Amino acid sequence: MSNRILPLELIDKAIGSKIWILMRGQTEIVGTLRGFDDYVNLVLDDAVEYSPDPRNNNEIVKTELQSEILLNGNHVAVLVPGGTGPPEDSMAASSS
Amino acid sequence: MKNSYNNTGTGSGADNVRGGESSGKGGAVSQKKESILELQKLINSSVRVKCLGGREMRGILRGFDELVNLVIDDCEEFLRDKNDLTQITDKSRKLGLVVVRGTQVTLVSPEEGTEEIANPFLGEADA
Repeated sequence: MSNRILPLELIDKAIGSKIWILMRGQTEIVGTLRGFDDYVNLVLDDAVEYSPDPRNNNEIVKTELQSEILLNGNHVAVLVPGGTGPPEDSMAASSS
Repeated sequence: MKNSYNNTGTGSGADNVRGGESSGKGGAVSQKKESILELQKLINSSVRVKCLGGREMRGILRGFDELVNLVIDDCEEFLRDKNDLTQITDKSRKLGLVVVRGTQVTLVSPEEGTEEIANPFLGEADA
């Protein structure tokens, strides 16, 4: 009766498209999902990393990791399939 | 003679080394899908999820598995104060349909039956 969605199935459907990953801390990564394993280690293509600048709380450092990457699943907290990344100035820490 | 540390004596193959107690279940970690948290009851209702590291989110529970990986619909994340990440602000951002990793989940609670109250701590002066 309840057609519930299995989380890992949803990730599987996202293979081939963009995915937005929120890590345990303040870091976020957007990339094209190539695959994953039981531990949700991820292979991402054309990944871009967004992290707060350690020197200046208001800045976000955007790093383009130009090759395919293996992202360790240890600190992956949230996955947004089809996600395009943090909207302008709205990573978890907001400007008060 | 099997080289097994536990010697449960049931003579099954080498892959039963883990079964310390001879409970008859073969010492499997999760035979049945038993969970102390009955997420099936919360399906399609609004839930609040908190994660390790301080993230807090709210949305509609669409799915889960035995490892407490969750599928949350219309998810919004509550934003924290930049200078003090333990402080939740009243700002939030929409995430949409998301998967939350069970390894990072610290709390899942239904919104039904909860109500938000005025902040009881506001009267205190900053230390």
